[in-house]
Amino acid sequence: MPLAGQLSSSLLAFILPVSLIAFWQLSGTNGVIFGGALPTPDRVWTAWVNWAFGTPTFGLNPYVGTWLQNVIFSAERVAKGFLVAIATGVPLGIAIGWSRLFAKLVDPTIQWLRPVPITAWLPISIAIFGIRDFGAIFLITLGAFYPIVINATQGARAVDKNWIRAAQMMGASQAATLWRVVLPAAMPSIFTGLRIGLGIGWTAVIVAEMVAVKSGLGYVLWDAYYVGRMDIVLADMVSIGLLGYLSDRLIVALSGWLLTWHRLQSFNQ
Amino acid sequence: MGTVEFAGVSKTFGGKTVVQALAEVDLRIGEGEFVALLGPSGCGKSTLLNILAGFEQLTSGSVRFDSRAISNPGPDRGVVFQEASLLPWLTVWDNVVFGPKVQGVARSIYEPKAEAILKIVGLEGFKKALPVQLSGGMRQRVGIARVLVMEPRALLMDEPFGALDAQTRLSMQQLLLDVWQKLKTTVLFVTHDIDEAILLADRVCVMSARPGRISREIPITLPRPRSIDDLTNPAFIQFKAAIMTEMRGAHGAH
Ligand SMILES: Nc1ncnc2c1ncn2[C@@H]1O[C@H](COP(=O)(O)OP(=O)(O)O)[C@@H](O)[C@H]1O
Ligand SMILES: [Mg+2]
Repeated sequence: MPLAGQLSSSLLAFILPVSLIAFWQLSGTNGVIFGGALPTPDRVWTAWVNWAFGTPTFGLNPYVGTWLQNVIFSAERVAKGFLVAIATGVPLGIAIGWSRLFAKLVDPTIQWLRPVPITAWLPISIAIFGIRDFGAIFLITLGAFYPIVINATQGARAVDKNWIRAAQMMGASQAATLWRVVLPAAMPSIFTGLRIGLGIGWTAVIVAEMVAVKSGLGYVLWDAYYVGRMDIVLADMVSIGLLGYLSDRLIVALSGWLLTWHRLQSFNQ
Repeated sequence: MGTVEFAGVSKTFGGKTVVQALAEVDLRIGEGEFVALLGPSGCGKSTLLNILAGFEQLTSGSVRFDSRAISNPGPDRGVVFQEASLLPWLTVWDNVVFGPKVQGVARSIYEPKAEAILKIVGLEGFKKALPVQLSGGMRQRVGIARVLVMEPRALLMDEPFGALDAQTRLSMQQLLLDVWQKLKTTVLFVTHDIDEAILLADRVCVMSARPGRISREIPITLPRPRSIDDLTNPAFIQFKAAIMTEMRGAHGAH
């Protein structure tokens, strides 16, 4: 695509959000809409600037200068939970996809547990881990685990039979075949799982922080709602959206870098 | 080194419909012999090759490679697949050194070998390319190179040039003739192309279908070294006529 084309197509992406914000702004009077239920965007912006860049008042007002701290709390939990989900989900998925025996042994259990939503795990999580980080990380791991394991399984099952035959013909052991053929071949599918899993991870962290921990964007969201700070609630929501989007872009960039071969292949077909 | 002996080999595929792919096939391949398996599609050529490769188990009979029974695929029998089946995430170089690497061969030993072989197949300038960036003919050169680098005692080639255009196929046939002339490795070469079988092989085994069996073996006594120019040689045409008659007969039988 020529540069002008690229520019205009990325400008297209802004038409919808900008008009929504403009509409929201214009339908408000005295900085509120819905008869005072919600603030207008300019108020949200002011609240966010204060929340992000104000000088912290150490407890007097929790919505001044504490944004970054809360972002880090949430992002760190998502990162930890997500990494545990990758470390367990990918090997397990590959094993299920590779070995029929292993699939019969574990897959049904995973499929039975999967319909239980992460919110239903909250009481158990709190009972076991208390109001602490572990609880949140547990929920994130659980939420991200299912799409990762399922996509890794699918990826491992769809490996071209001749790639495996070729590797064995060249003297690859079973372990080498798994590591050097099945895993890389499943990578495109695994990345699909990672993207879905990370999205669920952000949902899980907000839910967990609303209930099971006392910090992070989810905690602030619920707390601000209780004290009637809808401007902070909205600024918080926008922040979550932004973080979710950026972390997804990160995964996409990583996959673009790791999976050049796959991109070129789909391009040629 | 590199002798093959199929004795009374039968293969039946189970499943919803039972297919007898091979019935009582006997075939011996001597050391350094180039044998072509020729027959219509579905007659069991790939099945026979896959049993020797260790990809499929036979139903009855026996297969011996250098007097030993076959249980698994292994680098002593290098397989060249129809669609090359390179590992698409690896560069040409990494595909070629895959075998020695997983076998734990020292880098100082396999690197010069791989360099030399890439030169022979004319790909020394494409080491860093990905398979998807190559033409079909170049991909198949890599498929041959990754097998040659392991110095197998036998080459098993399943319609390796079947998916190539006519011109590329000729140049690949010439390449294979040249390489074989130097190495004199045992080759089992599957094809449905009569010209290809005669041009390359010391012996053409004509197969017939349902159930698959070898209906006739025809020694090709054309002198070596051969080249693609032999395709228009009168002696070549005589072999072709004989094989065409044989194949028509094999077809007419059912
Ligand atoms: N895995 C399989 N399962 C069932 N039938 C098979 C399988 N592989 C091959 N066949 C059948 O066996 C016969 C011989 O196949 P194949 O050896 O591939 O023939 P060729 O290579 O000569 O075209 C065919 O009828 C084919 O459908
Ligand atoms: Mg075949």
